[in-house]
Amino acid sequence: MSTPLSLPGLDLPRRNGELAFDAPWQSTVFALAAAVIEHALGGDREPFRQQLIKAIAADPGRPYWESWTTALEALVPTLPERPTP
Amino acid sequence: MTSSAHHPAPMSPVERRVAALEALLTERGLVPAGFIEEITRRYESEIGPMNGAKVVARAWADPEYKRRLLADGTAAIAELGFGGPEGHHMVVVENTSTMHNVIVCTLCSCYPWPVLGLPPAWYKDPPYRARMVREPRALLAEMGCPLPEEVEIWVLDSSAEVRYLVLPQRPPGTGGMTEAELAALVTRDSMIGVARL
Repeated sequence: MSTPLSLPGLDLPRRNGELAFDAPWQSTVFALAAAVIEHALGGDREPFRQQLIKAIAADPGRPYWESWTTALEALVPTLPERPTP
Repeated sequence: MTSSAHHPAPMSPVERRVAALEALLTERGLVPAGFIEEITRRYESEIGPMNGAKVVARAWADPEYKRRLLADGTAAIAELGFGGPEGHHMVVVENTSTMHNVIVCTLCSCYPWPVLGLPPAWYKDPPYRARMVREPRALLAEMGCPLPEEVEIWVLDSSAEVRYLVLPQRPPGTGGMTEAELAALVTRDSMIGVARL
């Protein structure tokens, strides 16, 4: 009963039948947004979140990770030229 | 790996866009070697609802912890080692026999990642985001969580400022269980508030 807890993550993240990502490009674009937030925006998530809200509002029926991609495409041209330390 | 025996499948338009983003951002020095693999591994194997389940089980087992958890979610969750991005300003709300909390993000997909991992597909879809606000009782029933009329429903809209986690009611008949056994009973959906245990 308690074995999954001794192997954190091996079973439970997939409970309720869903994997975190359905395809490699989804985890890639997720990680790219994390990279931008961490390495170009000093950890500030808000600029990306605002783009994501816009992307979802522009096309509510679009698959989620495609909206995520659109949001990142919109954010990239606004990034500071040099990465913040 | 058998893929070398096959021609690679042609890339879809969105795959091409993501590949272009990856090339651009890598060229700008924003994607260190191994970063994508490391983030993916963390979200697929370390960060997920098992973290939230441990928080819930501790709260069930330790009334003093539960008091701290409801008073300051972020700090009490950090006691168990969970926190970081998307985990600031955590507010934990308790479900009881008369009060049922359920979380939603009406604008995008705000979600308490450190304790629940990435949101499930339906959480990010327009029908859930709209209907949970408009007709929560009907939607909860459709999702397999019918509530008696006398149970009050609170729909909590997550945002950049506040991330909610639902503390589900401890199931009856679990008095003699260890914390690890209790944690194994806790489902992701119960911590979103679309299921009861």
